[in-house]
This record gives sequence, structure tokens and C-alpha cells, in this order.
Amino acid sequence: MAEELLEVRVEDLNVWIGDNHILKDVYMRAVPGTVTAVMGPSGSGKSTLIRVINRLIDLVPGSKVKGRVMIGKINVLESDPYMVRRRIGMVFQEPNPFPHMTIYENVAIGPRLHGLAREREEIDRIVEWALKKAQLWDEVKDRLDDYPYQLSGGQKQRLSLARALALKPRVLLLDEPTANIDPVSTVKVERSIIEYAKENMATVIIVTHTPQQAARISDNILFIYEGRVIEYGPTREVVLHPREELTRKFLGGEV
Amino acid sequence: MPEMAKSDKRFFYSLVPAALVSSLILVLLFIVLIYYSAPAFKEYGFRIFTTKTWSPSEESARTSEYGLFIPLLGTLVSAIIAVVLALPFAISTVIFTEEVIPKGMNKVRETFSTLIDVMTGLPTIVYGLWGLAILAPFLRDNLYNPLYAVLGSIPLFSCRPVTGTTILTAGILLSMMIMPFMYSVIRHSYKRIPAIYKEAALALGTTKYEYSKIMMGMVKPSILAGILIGFGRAAGETVAVALVVGNTFNMPSCLLSSSYTISALIANQFGNAALYPYMINVLVVGGLILLLIGIVSNILGIMYLNRVRYTA
Repeated sequence: MAEELLEVRVEDLNVWIGDNHILKDVYMRAVPGTVTAVMGPSGSGKSTLIRVINRLIDLVPGSKVKGRVMIGKINVLESDPYMVRRRIGMVFQEPNPFPHMTIYENVAIGPRLHGLAREREEIDRIVEWALKKAQLWDEVKDRLDDYPYQLSGGQKQRLSLARALALKPRVLLLDEPTANIDPVSTVKVERSIIEYAKENMATVIIVTHTPQQAARISDNILFIYEGRVIEYGPTREVVLHPREELTRKFLGGEV
Repeated sequence: MPEMAKSDKRFFYSLVPAALVSSLILVLLFIVLIYYSAPAFKEYGFRIFTTKTWSPSEESARTSEYGLFIPLLGTLVSAIIAVVLALPFAISTVIFTEEVIPKGMNKVRETFSTLIDVMTGLPTIVYGLWGLAILAPFLRDNLYNPLYAVLGSIPLFSCRPVTGTTILTAGILLSMMIMPFMYSVIRHSYKRIPAIYKEAALALGTTKYEYSKIMMGMVKPSILAGILIGFGRAAGETVAVALVVGNTFNMPSCLLSSSYTISALIANQFGNAALYPYMINVLVVGGLILLLIGIVSNILGIMYLNRVRYTA
């Protein structure tokens, strides 16, 4: 399969959940080969934003979405959500490998579902590759048939990451993936994310509530506050020379 | 015991009798059943499980022959038919309630599943009457006769369906009766699947079918539990089965023939059992077997239910 480059572009995005106006005229652009950090205090609408990109917002009862979310040439909001999600990987805040599947099966499920590989050896290779990319291989290579509950929280999260990577998604979404895991795993997850973006020219969007993480791993930062884009630009600039007072305050831990 | 207010002490002791009685009932049941079945074992030995005839004689125990083999087999065959038929319906209906009825229509969902839950509590005689008056003749005309005509060379369907009351009718009626139970057991577990796994499955780009398969995989132990608990109920069901199984000592190896089950045998024979030597005792042996089937299937079922993992 040709490696297509998919840019993510969000324009005039407004989202309501019931009567709450969650996202207001949000815009952003995430380019292949880069990591874009969406940061902001909790409740600012960050998670909602990435859930619009892969249409998981559809699950939220009473949600209404207006605007344009382009992935490459496709408007996500007007497409079949299943087709959209096949090309977008996602890692969640809570590590969520399937408890009834072994480590191996958790990684193999994506490729198996979408028929990326049929032969056992092919799947073996993908599983090994994905686990290596997620920096988990060395810890689990001798116990691929164990179940996830035998792993630590950080390992479970890296397993969730491997499951997403196994599909070689052109777009990778991460919703505060390190909020609930140990520092060592956090470093590993961050390294995997950057590597994956660069090596595969993938478009990576990560939601984070810590400016430090955004500074460590992103090329661009989108700062959202109360559903509005406050500032958007290259990470260095946003961190070192914020244009807006609110951004300065957030970086200083005041909001 | 930690310190208690005086009134709480009284409250505490007032609970003891109820708790004791509840836990003792099962033990007492066992003791009584064993006590009354012992004479049958003493007289006939384990022959009662292998004998295929049932010819009680009023004169003496020697000339009486009590065989539980056919009803025992009938119980197993009808319960297995019931489970096999009910399972796909139960699973499909769970997926329908939880995934097909749209998220915003919770009222519809709850009404729908309440209707099914209500079915678990209906008097079984109602099923039995309906089965006898409507289902049995309908099946004979529209299913059994064609089956016999086409597949009559296969032993399972090789007997001419004279009446509609057959072992297969019993199985089909039982499947309708246990389906709501299996549905409840499976749905109860399915509903408890945390949202994070549903999101994980959907984020992989799964279709509704693929997604449902993954979710059902997660609650697989509860499906096994449903099978076991359903089997236990089917094996013990009495009134409805007694009405549609035909109550004859024919081998249930041909599904289109009337046969017997343990529960139906007890219900039909107990009334005049006192006239024949040892018949009561043999029937109690049947009851003991049913109790054992019920206990084992329910204990295993509950064990499986506890095996569903909701966290990785």
C-alpha cells in the first residue's frame, strides 16, 4: 500500500452536547510527520476535539457537530465512520487492552479485522514490529500469551499503543495517554509517539493537560480554553513567546 | 463482634433464624431425598438407571420393573435441544437491545427488555397449554411431517410423527421458556462492559458486527453461564414438559417420537405411586437426580459469571 500522507484540517468546528456549546469555531491543522499537542485545562473541550476527528463523538447522546474536519481530501463529518476510523489510530487516557485477549491477540486484532495479514508469520511480524514501536517488546516477548491483567499500568498503556500502531494508521490520536501511568512508561510512550510520527510521516495529535509534555514532544501546540482556540503555532514560539495572556497564565500554572 | 447498640443487638439476633432456615433448606432437601431414595437403591441397585422399561406391578417388588433410563435421556435430550435453540436467540436479542436500539431511545430499550424479563416469571402452565393446544399440532403439520418425509432415513427423524407431542416439541417449547433467562444472564454482563473497551473496539474501525463479536468475546464466560443455568432450568421444568412430551417410554433417540422426562414422570406417576411397591422411592431417585443437575449447573454457571473480566 502506498504511504499516503494525510493532513488533518479542522475548520469552523462547533460542537454541542445537549445545550452545552463545547467547541466554538475551533480550527487547527496537523501536518504529516509532526506531533501536534492540544493542550488546555480540563473541561476545555480537548478530548471532544479529537473524538470528532475519528467520529467517536457519535457515541455521545445529544451531540451535534457543525463545521469541517478534513483528513486528506475527505470530510470526516460526511463519511462513513467505519472507514474513517480504519485509517486513524487512537490511544485513550485509560489503558484499555481487551481483558479477554492475550497480549499477542490484542495487537493482532486490528490487522486481522482489516485483513492486512492472513498468514501467521505475517501477523507475527506485525505484532513484533508494533510492540517494538511501542517500546514494550523486550518486556513481553517471552509471554505473548499472557493476559493484560498480568501487566503493569504503564505496560498496558504501551500495549494499547501497540494495538493502535499495528494498523499503521496514517493519523494517530492520543487522549492524555500518560495521565495515569508511571514516569518510566511515560518516557517510553512519548519516545514512541515522536518516532512513529517521524519514521512513518504520520500525523499525530496528542491531547495533554501538561504544558511540559506538550513542550517535550510536539512540533505545534494548539491551546484551547473554554472551547475556543486561544493560540496555535510552533511549539517553541508558543512556549517561549506566548502571544496571549491566557497562554502565559496556563504555562505558568495559573489557570 | 464489634460493639453494638442494644437495639441493634436485638435486630441482629432477629435475623439469625431467617438466615439459618434459608441455608438449611437445601441441606434438608438433600437429606430427605436421599432418605427416601435409599430403599429403591437397596431393592434394585443401579439397575434403575439402565433399565428401559417401566412396568410396575401391584403384587410385589420382584415383578415390578422401574427404569429411569428413558426419562433420564429424555431430560438430557430435551434440555440440550432447548439450550441449542435458545442460545442464538438470546445472544442476538442482547445485541439487538444493547447495540441496535439507538442510544437516545433508552425508554424503548428498557421496555423491550422488561417485556422479555417478564416472560421469565410467567406461570409455566401457560406455556404448557399453549404448547399442547397450538404449538404441537402446528409443528406436526408444518415441521415434523415434512422432516419425516425428507429426512426419514436419518435415525433422528426416522419415526412417523403421530401426535405433535414429541421430545422435539418439548425441546422447542423449553427453548422459548429458557431464552429469557439466558438473555437476562448475558445482558446483565454485557451492560457492565466499561465504555473504555467499547471505544477501543470502535476506534479500530470495527463494523457493528465485528464490534459485537469482540464485546461478546469479553462476556463469553457469561454466555457459558447462560448455557448452564438455562440447561438447569430446562432439565427441571415440569408442567409444560409433561403436557407436550407425550409421556411414553419411547427412546428419545428419534426426535419425532413422544417420550418422557424425569420431571414429567414424577408429575404423572406420583399420584398413584403409593399403590405400587417402591415406586415412590424410585420417583424420589429421579427427584434427586434433578436436584443434582440443578445444583451442579447453577454452581458452575455462577462460577462462570464471576469469571467475566471487566478490567484488563
